[in-house]
Order: sequence, then structure tokens, then C-alpha cells
Amino acid sequence: MINVYELQDSNKRRSALVIAAFIAFVVVVGWVFARLFDYGPGAIGIALIFAGLMSFASYWWGDKIILTLSNARPADRQRDFQFFTVAENLAMAAQIPMPKLYVIEDSAPNAFATGRNPQHAVVCATTGLLQKLDRSELEGVIAHEISHIKNYDTRLMSIVTILVGMITLLSDWFLRGARFGRGKDRSEGSLGVFLLLLGVFLALLSPLIAKLMQLALSRRREFLADSSAAMLTRYPGGLARALEKIAADQEPLEVANKATAHLYIVNPLKNFHSGVGWFAGLFNTHPPIEERIRILREMR
Amino acid sequence: MIVGIILVLGLIVLYVWALYNQFVTIKTRIQASIQEIGNQLKRQANLIPNLTAAVKGYFKQEKEIFALITEARKAVLEALKEANAQKLVDASEKMQRALAPIRALFESTPQLRSAEPTVKLMDELRDTADKVMYARRTLIDLTADYNIKIVTFPSNLVAKIFGFKPEPGLKTPTEGEHLEVSAEELKTPKVGESL
Repeated sequence: MINVYELQDSNKRRSALVIAAFIAFVVVVGWVFARLFDYGPGAIGIALIFAGLMSFASYWWGDKIILTLSNARPADRQRDFQFFTVAENLAMAAQIPMPKLYVIEDSAPNAFATGRNPQHAVVCATTGLLQKLDRSELEGVIAHEISHIKNYDTRLMSIVTILVGMITLLSDWFLRGARFGRGKDRSEGSLGVFLLLLGVFLALLSPLIAKLMQLALSRRREFLADSSAAMLTRYPGGLARALEKIAADQEPLEVANKATAHLYIVNPLKNFHSGVGWFAGLFNTHPPIEERIRILREMR
Repeated sequence: MIVGIILVLGLIVLYVWALYNQFVTIKTRIQASIQEIGNQLKRQANLIPNLTAAVKGYFKQEKEIFALITEARKAVLEALKEANAQKLVDASEKMQRALAPIRALFESTPQLRSAEPTVKLMDELRDTADKVMYARRTLIDLTADYNIKIVTFPSNLVAKIFGFKPEPGLKTPTEGEHLEVSAEELKTPKVGESL
């Protein structure tokens, strides 16, 4: 047994650890590339700017892009009474401004939150979720989404996306440069060959490693949002029941795709869950739902 | 040397400034949550006549139940005049207890549950009860934050300079009573399960 406050603290600590490891990894890989292939600090800066520009759009207009992609309509108080009022209450409890609310017409139960800060936040739920859950279950789910907003998870994941993009660009440039025979003169024997091999190895693997670390962070943030949700409602049972219902539902969400999957409360691409074991777990945006339910049930 | 002293003084001024703002912000938020409780109780009181009209004729001991509700409503209106947080919360609890038989009736009577206006009414009442609950908890949390800041070092010095006094908040004198409150809160969602 662990109380909600301790759980939230431990989640925050582990999250910070993953972020620190991630930044260390990016710095080390950047440095190795610079040393081995004469990139110089300029090239790393350029890579950062390129990757930054690409993610900036998704950061700044992310809410609008995602809502358009998902065919969402604005929620209103009359039609979506429970959704609307529950969100009102939880925004008050979390002391953030009321987020904009949207509804996706889809019978698969799911929900997500996005927006660059609490002032521009959006919470979106499917009609399936609103119909299948009762008020206390819905409260759990919305509290999870409000926690994502309050913990600035969208901003965090945007920054991480920029870093992953930078690593990918650097390694991509290196592989291109190596193919066309540019880069450093590598005629000094076996050491040169070894360095080249190491470079190729790093260039091939670092984007994958960066991506895996990003996914690990995403899973950490899900646990954190679960425990913060329990903190907001003081009723972890509601979210646990909601997750059980959502997990039991077999319908896939039609409007979700790989690009938006990590935003949802439960991975909407159900077939991605079929892989078992530790290795498949590495590629999940979300922790296993059974584990989330178990932790919620153990909370006091 | 002089630069160092100026730097240290500057930092102290910044700290005092930030703390003063924190105190004032929390105080404003405490007022806002008391007001929220008041607003919701007003809304609730306005819904009650419709509710009693909707369930008229369903009870055998109608008179006693309605008398309790009328009494609770009076207490709410009285508390609203004073705008005292403790009185507001007490009145709202009285009202919740008085409404309990109606909730039970609602759950056991399919006729009522299929009538659109009554369902709407019960939903609204559930929402006002939730809002009071969340506002009350925000009030308790904020008051605790505020009062801890007033007594702990070094923020107590700043509080003394500007004359901030501890807020009364709501009564949660013993650990036991505080736990009782959260047990009560756990019960509230159960009512809604079959709504």
C-alpha cells in the first residue's frame, strides 16, 4: 500500500530521471558525432533548429491539427451534460482554467488531452466513452486528462520530440555523407575503419534508442497522470473501473493513427497490444492497462 | 563588495515580493471557493421546488421528508446571507441528508428514471453537490497551505511584516474527523452509479 502523495512524488522523480538520461544521451551522441565526423557545433545547432522548426508547428497549432484530424465537434452543456460538468468541477479542483471540450463521434471509448499550456488546453472524448461510463468513472478519465494538462505533458513531449528529431537528422546526415564519400579523410588504417564502423553503428541505432527513451517517458507520464487523477478525485476506484471497461471494449478507434496514438488515455490501436513480453513492451506508448488498474486498486 | 551586498538585497526584495503575491493570491482563491460554494447552494435551492413537485405523491411519509427539506433550505438561505464558509458547508450537508430519501426513491422508481425532466433535475443536483464538494476541498487545501506558510520560517517573517492572519477555513480539528470527511466523499459517487 502506498498513499497518493507518495506515489505522485515517486512518479515525478522517475520522470525527472528519464528526462535527465534522455538529455545526457542526446548530448553524448551529439558530441560523438561532432568529434568523429567534423560536424562542429554549427551543424548540431542547425540540426536543433531544423528539428525545432518541424515540431514547432505541431506544438503551436497541435490542438487544431489534431482536432481536425480526429473530426471533433465542440461539446455543449445541454447535450454532453456529464462530460461538461465533470470537466468544470475537475478544472476547478486542479486550479486550471476550464479547458475547451470536444466530442468525437465514435463508439470506441477513449479520450485525450492536448494544447501547449493550461490556457490553450483541449480535452476530447468519444461518444462511446460518454455513453458507456457512469459519472464517477468519467470523472476518473477526465481527471487523468486534466492531470496531463496540469503536468505540462504536451509541452514535455514536444520538447522530447524535438530532441529525437535532432538525433535522427544528425545520423541521417552522417549516413548520407558517408555514402557520398564526404566527411573526414579516413585513410589512416584500422583506427579509421573502426571509427567509421562505430559511427555507422551509432548513426543507425541512435534514432531507435532516442525513440525508445521517448516511449519510456511517455509511459512514465501515464502513470503520473493516473496518480494525479486519483489525487484530484480522491477516488482511484472510478478510474480503475473506467480502465477495465475501456480495456474490455474490443472496438478500435477509427480516427486514431500512429501519430496521435500516444495522446489517448488508452492506446487506441488495439492490435499494437497483442505483442507480449518485455521487448514488445518497449515499443508501447502506454503502460499495460492491467498494471495501471492494479496500481490504482492498491491506492489509498 | 558593494555589488555583492546589492545582489543579496535584491534577492531578498524579490523573495519578499514573490511571497507577498503568493499570500494575496491564495487569499483571493480562498474567497473565490467560498463564493463558489455559495453560488452552488443558491442554484441547488432554486432547483428544490421543481424536485419536490416532481416526486409529489410517491411517498407515504411525504410530509416529514418535505418538512426536512424545507428546513434545510431555510438553513441554506440563512447561511447565504452571512457568507460564512463553515455555515455554508454545514447547511449543504444538512440539505444532502434531507435529499437522500428522494435519491433512493429515484433509484427504485423506473417511472421517475424514464421521465426526461426528472433525470435532468437529478443530474443538476448531483452536479451542484459535486461542485460544493470540490470547492470545499479546494478551500480546505488552500487554507492549509496558507496557514502553514504563515507559521513556517522564513515566510512567517513576511506574513508578520504585512500583517497576514491565519484563515479560519473549515473545521478539521482532528485527524479522525478529516478522515471522516473523505469517507463521506467516497460515498457520494456511489449515489451516482445508477443515475
